[in-house]
Amino acid sequence: MSVFYERFERHDHAEGIKGRSTHYCPGCGHGLVHRYLAEAIEELGIQDRTIAVSPVGCSVFLYYYLDVGHTQAAHGRAPAVALGHKLSNPDSVVVSYQGDGDLASIGLTEILHAAQLGVPLSVVFVNNAIYGMTGGQTAPTTLMGQKTTTSPHGRDLSMGLPLKMAELIAQLDGPVYVERVALFDAKQRVRAAKAVKKGLELQAEGKGFSFVEVLAECPTHLRLSAEEAERWVKEKMVPVFPLGVKKDVSATASFDAWRTPTYAADAVLEAIDARQAEAPRYAQGFPATPFGGDELGLKFAGSGGDGAQTAAMLMVHAAVNEGLDATHIPSYGPESRGGTSYADVRIARTQVLSPDVPSPHALVAFNAPSLAKFGATVAPGGIALYDRSVIREPHALPPGVRALGVPLSEIAAELGQPLVKNVVAIGALQGATGLFPAETVLAVIRQALQKRPALVAVNAEAFARGARAVERGWGSAG
Amino acid sequence: MAHVDVREMPVLHEECCKGCGRCREACARACIAPGTDINELSGLVPIVLSLDACNGCGLCAEACPEPYGLEMALPGAAREPAAVAPRARFVPPPDEPDARVPLPHSPPLVVKGTHASAIGALLAGCRHFFGYPITPSTEGAELMAKLLPALGGSFVQAPSEVAAVNMMYGAAGAGRRTMTFTSSPGFSLMLEGVSYLIGAELPAVFVNVMRAGPGLGNIGPEQSDLKLACRGLGHGSTHAIVLAPATPQEMLDFTMLAFELAFRYRNPVVVAADGHLGQMTGKVELPRALVRPGLPGWAVSGDGPHRGNLHSSILLREADQEAHNLHLFDKYARMTAAEQRVETLHCEDAETLVVACGTPARMASGAVAALRAEGVRVGLFRPQTVWPFPVAALLPLVRRARRIVVVEASDGQLEDELRLALSHAGVGGEVPIEHVRRHGGILPSQLEIAAGVRKSAGRRVTA
Repeated sequence: MSVFYERFERHDHAEGIKGRSTHYCPGCGHGLVHRYLAEAIEELGIQDRTIAVSPVGCSVFLYYYLDVGHTQAAHGRAPAVALGHKLSNPDSVVVSYQGDGDLASIGLTEILHAAQLGVPLSVVFVNNAIYGMTGGQTAPTTLMGQKTTTSPHGRDLSMGLPLKMAELIAQLDGPVYVERVALFDAKQRVRAAKAVKKGLELQAEGKGFSFVEVLAECPTHLRLSAEEAERWVKEKMVPVFPLGVKKDVSATASFDAWRTPTYAADAVLEAIDARQAEAPRYAQGFPATPFGGDELGLKFAGSGGDGAQTAAMLMVHAAVNEGLDATHIPSYGPESRGGTSYADVRIARTQVLSPDVPSPHALVAFNAPSLAKFGATVAPGGIALYDRSVIREPHALPPGVRALGVPLSEIAAELGQPLVKNVVAIGALQGATGLFPAETVLAVIRQALQKRPALVAVNAEAFARGARAVERGWGSAG
Repeated sequence: MAHVDVREMPVLHEECCKGCGRCREACARACIAPGTDINELSGLVPIVLSLDACNGCGLCAEACPEPYGLEMALPGAAREPAAVAPRARFVPPPDEPDARVPLPHSPPLVVKGTHASAIGALLAGCRHFFGYPITPSTEGAELMAKLLPALGGSFVQAPSEVAAVNMMYGAAGAGRRTMTFTSSPGFSLMLEGVSYLIGAELPAVFVNVMRAGPGLGNIGPEQSDLKLACRGLGHGSTHAIVLAPATPQEMLDFTMLAFELAFRYRNPVVVAADGHLGQMTGKVELPRALVRPGLPGWAVSGDGPHRGNLHSSILLREADQEAHNLHLFDKYARMTAAEQRVETLHCEDAETLVVACGTPARMASGAVAALRAEGVRVGLFRPQTVWPFPVAALLPLVRRARRIVVVEASDGQLEDELRLALSHAGVGGEVPIEHVRRHGGILPSQLEIAAGVRKSAGRRVTA
């Protein structure tokens, strides 16, 4: 039994007899299950590879005893912790050791998720039908009629029926091996030891997720002698929790979805789509406007699908390619499609300060509500560009704001591509304001469409049509 | 010579026998009887063996739940407990150091804040991501899901934030660089796990893109998790460095920094971003190098050299727990001394100090620029760490300032940090502290901040 520590130094500093004795009550089943783990680890030669994740409950102190790597988990979360370990070291053999409160109550989500995921882990589930460490409360696996400190009159239907975890887990596609065993006699103990070993072996061989439920005795909280408790498990528990293999597809199973991390600079740069070459510049620094200053604010507003966000992003890219700073803040309604969709864009010579645009120098409104909502906020001397195809009667705008109706939708429809109305809008914005040279914006459009080159021509045409549809000029500064 | 049948026979170590009697049930020859005498060492009553009828079948030892209670041994070969020397103290292997891999120069990226943070995590060597979708943080997780497979990493969409943080706990325990993106309600759910990480001294990075609350609230930006991040990281006496980026560039830089700090201190680090910053697109320069992480000596990594490592946060003896807590407090003190970060703008001669972090600090920087143009002596003090609050840099400014105006999107959580820091520094009352606050997904605007400063400075509020 070399996998047991020779001395349990972590057990209360091994004082007195604690260096050789467990913290478990007399007759508790955990000691036997610990032994089966130790024996299996030794027989399989996996002591260095093994990581035991201990739960909250009586077996929280598994790490006192087994000379393997250990992580002690929060209540119910051992499968999640085990998964984190396993994905970090696929060659390790990770055991999630849990009791019935831990696994079948507070940790149901974690065990179901891990089991269905199917990543090779070995779960050892010790079911003794009661909460031990907290002092004998009802467990999900407490039997009907069983008295506990929180079912003092016996478990009745108001508390629901006992939860059969092995059967539940066996229903899932993820596990390759599920068995329920017991400890109440020599024959059962041999089976239990075999099952625990098989669960570890399947992981050590990379086959898959295993789940071994062990019906165990808690003489203390059953208020029985150890021998009586063994009989109780045999006569009372087994009829409710039948023993045996619930699922075993291990003969044909394998799990090989592992990946090896890379940190190579070229791989990372390619993944994050970092370009090597600087974009060419076409502009002479910060755009010249009647407003002066070092910052400009634009707002694009419409419904989801109008392309307001894309148009905003194209302008940000254009500005950054020209060596300026720019930001974009989107704002959406809760709908994934068809709700409101607004975008604030700021362009600055060196650094955008406040990125919001409460008072835009140019507004692009794709529908009437957007124009109504933001038209009045346009800065004096600014432009309110709107889709004349859908806004026949624009709201009154503040004095000095240039109302610029452009048939965005109609132009896009004429091009046979209604989705390019936002590019028509950018073309019109460019035509009216000359914020950036046309080539700056066209380069950004090409860059955005590099994976769909067939669309470049229609977008370039949309941009040109928009630019031709307007005359150059801002509003009149008030 | 006659064959002598020497069999292994049961040997009882009485001090380890709890007298449960499971061996009695296993013995077919009735060799075992309940004891009557209390063992002096254990205080329990061990069973009594009488081996006259014993055939050495060993079933009794097989039934014993104690590792060293009842063993099968050749006569005279049983191990005497007294002979077991204390185990030599486990010495973990030395840390395998991180390496820095130079990056060629690239033009700036144009990416949103969550993406910048995800890219920062990848550059910092994070290859293990665990998370649960929640607006407005999800795009960060989505980018990790897209990119990690190509980099050999793991992305797991957990069944809940509770599961996610515990997957992080496992990966962190393995010594890996792990992170999550979440937003306020999700961060609340993760706090139990954060407490465990702090207790077990494990590093992990939490990017919390804060949204409006309480409850489900909405997906607009707020800064109302600063209290949680600075004062409420789960149960127990917990602290973690809280970084407050204000630009997409800082989302990348601070995420990289967060990993460095998390491993330096073996403690979680929170990147507290607001909803606007998560969604905001901007110009982001890449660093000059990425990190190829090594492996800390304390890792539980499923190999021989690290086999003796343990991660836990349970210390049953009160004195042990107190000693551990004092060790943590010393660490908090070291963080407080060494990790205060701040950016100041026009603070040198400021009569009014605007204090703001995150996106509101950018609104405030616009307000400060506008007010300076009017001749108002105002400066912006922008904490880049909210915990520890950068009080050392604030104190000399406070001595000169006539007033402080705290700008934030919460009920005063940044202001509370400021006030606490000043109070601990023995300063308070001399300088009035006022505020400009918005809530519910609305950030204070540049105009509101400027108006607030003018009002505070006793000037006429101009349009």
